[in-house]
Amino acid sequence: MSWFLPPVAIARIAWLRTILYLFVILDIHLFVNDTRLKGRSPELYQPLFLARLLDLPRPSVPLTNTLYVVLIVACLVGATNRLPRLAGWTVAPAFTWWVLIGMSDGKVDHDHLALVVALWVLPTAGQARYDDLRTSEIAGWAVKCIQLAVVSTYALSALAKIRSAGWAFTWPTSSVLTWAIVRRPNPVGERLLDYPWLLHILQWVGFIGELLSPAVLWLKGRWLLLAALFFLGFHAANTAMLGIHFLPTVVCWLAFAPLERLGKFVTLPAKAISRREEPPLPVRSS
Amino acid sequence: MTTEVVRAGKWGRVVRLGVVVTGLGMVIHGTVRGTDDLWPFGPMSQYAMSIPSNASIDSIRVVARTDAGTTVDVPLDTNGAGIRRAEIEARTSAIMGDPSLLQSVADDWARKHPDKPKYVRLELVRDTTTLAHGRVSGRPASKVLAVWQVQK
Repeated sequence: MSWFLPPVAIARIAWLRTILYLFVILDIHLFVNDTRLKGRSPELYQPLFLARLLDLPRPSVPLTNTLYVVLIVACLVGATNRLPRLAGWTVAPAFTWWVLIGMSDGKVDHDHLALVVALWVLPTAGQARYDDLRTSEIAGWAVKCIQLAVVSTYALSALAKIRSAGWAFTWPTSSVLTWAIVRRPNPVGERLLDYPWLLHILQWVGFIGELLSPAVLWLKGRWLLLAALFFLGFHAANTAMLGIHFLPTVVCWLAFAPLERLGKFVTLPAKAISRREEPPLPVRSS
Repeated sequence: MTTEVVRAGKWGRVVRLGVVVTGLGMVIHGTVRGTDDLWPFGPMSQYAMSIPSNASIDSIRVVARTDAGTTVDVPLDTNGAGIRRAEIEARTSAIMGDPSLLQSVADDWARKHPDKPKYVRLELVRDTTTLAHGRVSGRPASKVLAVWQVQK
C-alpha cells in the first residue's frame, strides 16, 4: 500500500502547482482554445457522456466567458500556492468542463488525461512551500497519481492499438504513419513518405516504448532520466512528422523530476516567495 | 533535509487507494471497451488504427469562393475559420445531410477576419490518395461532398 503513498518532498507539490497552473493558462489560449467559439456556435456542440450525466448546461457566450475568467484568476492564485485548496478545487472542475466543451464536437484528443488528473489531485496536498523539504505521503500520493496518469497515456495507447486491430499486433507494420502524413502533410513528414521501412521502424520503437512504459514507475536516477528523454524524443519526433505535440502530457513528466531541488538553486527567490506564503496577520500595519 | 515524514491517516490511506484503483479501472475500461464519448475515461485511440499497405486515404477540406472572386482552401484551425479540420471530418456525414452546418464556417471567418474577402460559397471536398505497397501512388482524386451558398 505504501507504493501508492511514497514519501515525497512537499516542495515538489509547490513547484508542480506553479508550473501546471501557469500551463493551464497557456493551454486555454493555445491548445484547447476553441471552447469560447463553442459558446458562439452551439450548433456544433455534441455533449459527451460526462456532460450528459451531470446535465451540464449547453455552452453559451456568458458561460464560456465566465469559465475563462474563473480559470485565469484561480490559476494565477493557485500558481502562487496561496489558498491552494480553494484555488485548486476551482481550477480542477473549471478546466475539466472547459476541455469537455472543447472536445464536444465529435473530435476527442487524448493528450489531457495526465493534466486533468494532476489538477484534481494537487489540491489534496494542502499547504506547500517551495522550501519545505519534509517528505509527505499525502504529497507522494498526488505525485504518484500524476505519474500513473502519464504512464497510462502511453500504456493504454498501446492497448488501444492492439484492440483496434481486433486484438492483434498489426499496428507496427501497418501504413499508419504514411496515412497520418498524407492527411497532415509537412516538409519533414513528406520527405519520409519514400521510406516506408523507416516509418515501420519508428512505429515499432514507439509501440514497444508505449508497451514498456509502466516500467518507468519503478525506475530511478539515471535510468528514469533516460526513459524520460526517450519519451520526450518520441514526442519531438511526432511533432516534427505530424505536428502532434502532446505538451499537456509532456509537462506532467515533471512529476517524476526532483523539482524540490530547485529550491537549492534559487534559494533567495524561493525564500522570498515562501515568506509571502505565511498566513496574513489579522491586522496589518502600514 | 529533515527526516520527518508527514503520514496519511488510516482513512486517508484507504480513500486514496480507493481513488487510484477506481481511476485506473475506469481508464482501463475506457480503452478496452469504451468510446471517445467517455472522455476523460475514453480509449487512448488516437492514431491507433492498423492501416493496410494498399489503403485509400481520405482527407477532407473546405473550399471557398470569396466575394473577391477567388477560390481558396479554408484554413481549418481555430485562428483561421474557427473550426479545426478534425471537427469538420468528424461531422462530414452530418454536413452532407445538412450543408447549412457550413454556414458557421463562413460566419466565424467573417467575424475573425473582417478585413479579408468574405466567403460566398463553400464546398466540402474529399481528397482520396491511394497507397500501393505502402507508398503513395499518383495524385489524389477529389470529390465534392456538399455545397452551401452562404447566407448573408
